[in-house]
Amino acid sequence: MTPAAWHEVEVVLSEVMDLPAAERSSRIVQLCGARADLKTEVESLLSAHEKAASFLEGNAEFDLTATPAFSLQGKQLGPYRLLSIVGVGGMGTVYRAERTDGRFQKQVAIKVTPAAIHSPELLRRFTSEQQILATLEHPNIARLLDAGVSAEGIPYFVMEFVEGIPVNEYCDTGQLSTKQRLSLFQTLCSAVQYAHQHLVVHRDLKPANILVTVDGVPKLLDFGIAKIVEPWVAGTQGETRSLLNPLTPGYASPEQVRGETITTATDVYSLGIVLYELITGQAPYRVMGKPLDEAIRIICQSEPEEPSALLRRLGKDDPRSASALSSDLDAIIAKAMRKEPRERYASAEELASDLGRALAGVPVLAQRGTVLYRAGKFVRRHRLGVGIAAAAFLMLVVFAAAMAIQAQRIAKERDRANREAEASKRVAEFITNMFRVSDPTESRGNTVTAREILDKASQDIDRGLAKDPVVQAQMMDVMGMVYWNLGLFGRAQPLLERSLNLRVQTLGLENQATLSSGSHLAAVLASEGRFDEAQKLERKTLELRRRVLGPEHPDSLQSMRSLANLMERQARDLPNGPQADAGFADAEMLERETLATCRRVLGTDHPDTLAVMNRLGSTLDYEGRYPEAEQLQRETYAIQRRVLGPEHRDTMGSLNNIAFTLEKEQRYAEAETVYRQALDIQRRILGPDHPDMLLTMDNLSNTVAEQGRYAEAEKLCRETLDIRVRVLGPEHRDTATSKYELAGLLARQGRRDEALRTLRDAVDHGLPAGTDLYIDQEDDFKSLHGDPRYAALLAHAKDRAVTQKPDN
Amino acid sequence: MPGSEVTQLLQRWSRGDSSALDSLMPLVYEDLKRLAAYYLQQESRAQTLQSTALVHEVYLRLCGQQDPEWQGRAHFFAVAAKMIRRILVDHARQKGAIKRGENVQPEMLEEALMIPVQAKVDTLLLDECLNELAAFDPRKSQVVEMRFFGGLSARDIAAVLNTTEATVRRDWNIARAWLYRRMQGERSS
Repeated sequence: MTPAAWHEVEVVLSEVMDLPAAERSSRIVQLCGARADLKTEVESLLSAHEKAASFLEGNAEFDLTATPAFSLQGKQLGPYRLLSIVGVGGMGTVYRAERTDGRFQKQVAIKVTPAAIHSPELLRRFTSEQQILATLEHPNIARLLDAGVSAEGIPYFVMEFVEGIPVNEYCDTGQLSTKQRLSLFQTLCSAVQYAHQHLVVHRDLKPANILVTVDGVPKLLDFGIAKIVEPWVAGTQGETRSLLNPLTPGYASPEQVRGETITTATDVYSLGIVLYELITGQAPYRVMGKPLDEAIRIICQSEPEEPSALLRRLGKDDPRSASALSSDLDAIIAKAMRKEPRERYASAEELASDLGRALAGVPVLAQRGTVLYRAGKFVRRHRLGVGIAAAAFLMLVVFAAAMAIQAQRIAKERDRANREAEASKRVAEFITNMFRVSDPTESRGNTVTAREILDKASQDIDRGLAKDPVVQAQMMDVMGMVYWNLGLFGRAQPLLERSLNLRVQTLGLENQATLSSGSHLAAVLASEGRFDEAQKLERKTLELRRRVLGPEHPDSLQSMRSLANLMERQARDLPNGPQADAGFADAEMLERETLATCRRVLGTDHPDTLAVMNRLGSTLDYEGRYPEAEQLQRETYAIQRRVLGPEHRDTMGSLNNIAFTLEKEQRYAEAETVYRQALDIQRRILGPDHPDMLLTMDNLSNTVAEQGRYAEAEKLCRETLDIRVRVLGPEHRDTATSKYELAGLLARQGRRDEALRTLRDAVDHGLPAGTDLYIDQEDDFKSLHGDPRYAALLAHAKDRAVTQKPDN
Repeated sequence: MPGSEVTQLLQRWSRGDSSALDSLMPLVYEDLKRLAAYYLQQESRAQTLQSTALVHEVYLRLCGQQDPEWQGRAHFFAVAAKMIRRILVDHARQKGAIKRGENVQPEMLEEALMIPVQAKVDTLLLDECLNELAAFDPRKSQVVEMRFFGGLSARDIAAVLNTTEATVRRDWNIARAWLYRRMQGERSS
């Protein structure tokens, strides 16, 4: 057909296609006139149009159930003869095979990748990876025996032939108990750990890749193969990134789905999924057949149903199994499957040992993690008075972090000198001994506090590491900081002093480590209230750091920040007057200088820069320069909103700071708006019982009261009190503080009986002793002045405050 | 990063630089082919893989999360549709070759390892008919290609072809009627 002829047909066809059938023929006649050929063509196509309603609807599809067009069965591949297909999938077809050159009798498995994914890049990676994989020798990892490229250029892997069934089927058909399943799983963890230590990440852990032999031995298949054969996107630095995988994403981690860097944490995640499936019989995420966007959203954002809840729902929960175990398992699986890689277990081994704890009935890390998570949040917002309970948890983290830094530093040095390798070994031994405080299963019950470990370690430190003063000083520094974080300043100080002295002797004064000890000691002195000494030491440290490390070194910046904080704190303790003003002015100047350096060196969006802005904002607030403070806080808030997002807790913190300053300016209505804005977000993302949210409600209640709306404030206050009673218990200091606030609101409304009763309740049930002393200075209680019951209550409170010193 | 390269090529192409398409094709083709093979090899309970899903993913990989309003997106999908068509056709040809071959030659080995794919429509015939249609009405042939192989919406197709959605719908109806008649006729003759 010529384009011109077709054009004629098309014109008529378009005219009549949408017309009702009855009108069509007359219109065709009209349009075609005497052209019979045209009329015939149009009518023919119209009838095809009628019949073609579903033709080509939907898209081109690939049928996945089709069998391979051809198999290599019976063919020779290098020295191997392929006997039969064992399986199709997992990035290739797997054949059972045997060697034909008589060198081995044993049968092997050969994996052949599909032709379409062959490329020079694949071959390159293939050769570089196979050497690493060949070093993996572990009873629970199917060995890579050989790998080669056929004459046709097809890469293939020769692996130990494992006769077994997938681990989930094995558990179900054998009706294994939870404990048996867990111990099987622990074995898997140790195999994964082994591979990780050899720098191999599996990347594709799933039940189909974990077979259990007839003897009950689990074997991991395809270790590291995924990295070689999966499609890749080469990044700018040539690093390999993973890809999105819409078909088997049930086991893929968020970072895999998002195409981010793959690490050992990826395998920890997949282990979590496998464990979930072993415990519940179901995979946590059902994404099969879902559109890609939806699948990504589910994997990256949604939380799967808790295993115990799922079991209950399925009626599969075992009433005999201890509820403590299932709650521990929930926590452990959740920790392994965290969306953020760094929030998961640090290693497969850690996951396995936490399971061990769960089985032994000892508190698990995962549970501690959730409490810690909450405790951490709580502590940061309540700026004053960190409870000892929270500090104990905090300590563990700090300790772990310090150890990690230590290990890292030691690892670096190990590359440089053997002498240092010796040192790291001694540290490792020392640390191991630290945790040998007592066997938790014997002695008394199951509680070994971190404090005990620490106390024992600080006694042992002279003996254990005396031969190596450099390492000894490091350990003293670490432990000193742990004590400091625990709030045990009296114990921290001597350790840090000794660390500093040792370092001065062994490393000299102008050494980065020595100067760290100096800065740490200054922090402890400040915590003890010895501000003058602290300031002197920090100033000296800063001076040396600037000279030795340079003025823009992170350590120098840290000293500048610490020094500015010290100045501000000292100024805060002074009575209002020129001396305090000068202190704040000094602090402000240093903060401005620090801010300028941070902005230049780290950039405007860096967390440290934002932290300095935050401090400067509060200094300006103390100086009573509210408009400037507010401006800076709003600036900080804007950056945080952009960089961290509106719902990040630091962003929320700035929002609160803005409101604080507005309150000071007595712009209560505006403050109220900001608090309500914060509250909306917190309610949505933190849930109704979260301490952060309660704190905002406290502030809001206060602002509402300042505007004279006492009844409304009272309602808010009672709401938070109810939550605190329920969540924290009636004796908690925050519960008591809530009661204290409520008493003030009642007094302001002239409801003296209720106010007195509530105040007494607060004093007797957990109100911090410090607060007791200031009751009589509160404006809130003016209406009670002159009431003898109030006078008696004050006396009672003062009495109690004196006898009940806050413990340190 | 291939992303920006692809983006730039798409921009050039959408501005009328047809040489950009030539540079774009191999990039997209390699990726699609590799992905298709990879997915099809995965153990999966899914019965079929929609080409749209595949195209969407390659798009994400090569272009990143672009603004959905970005018009390069439609152009990209159009290129991908062409590629899917080529992959399916290549595949159907190879399979036919294997079936017809009496003795499997060593060079067939590579093809033997190809992924198991069956298109629901006779891909070779459709391809042939589309070529025929393109000879006298290239635009309609393109509309079918984009819609069937790439899953593009009428709106996206209109953006690529610089025309209206109404025209695209009309083109689709007419082309489909013509193809139906042509392909039915082929089968019955």
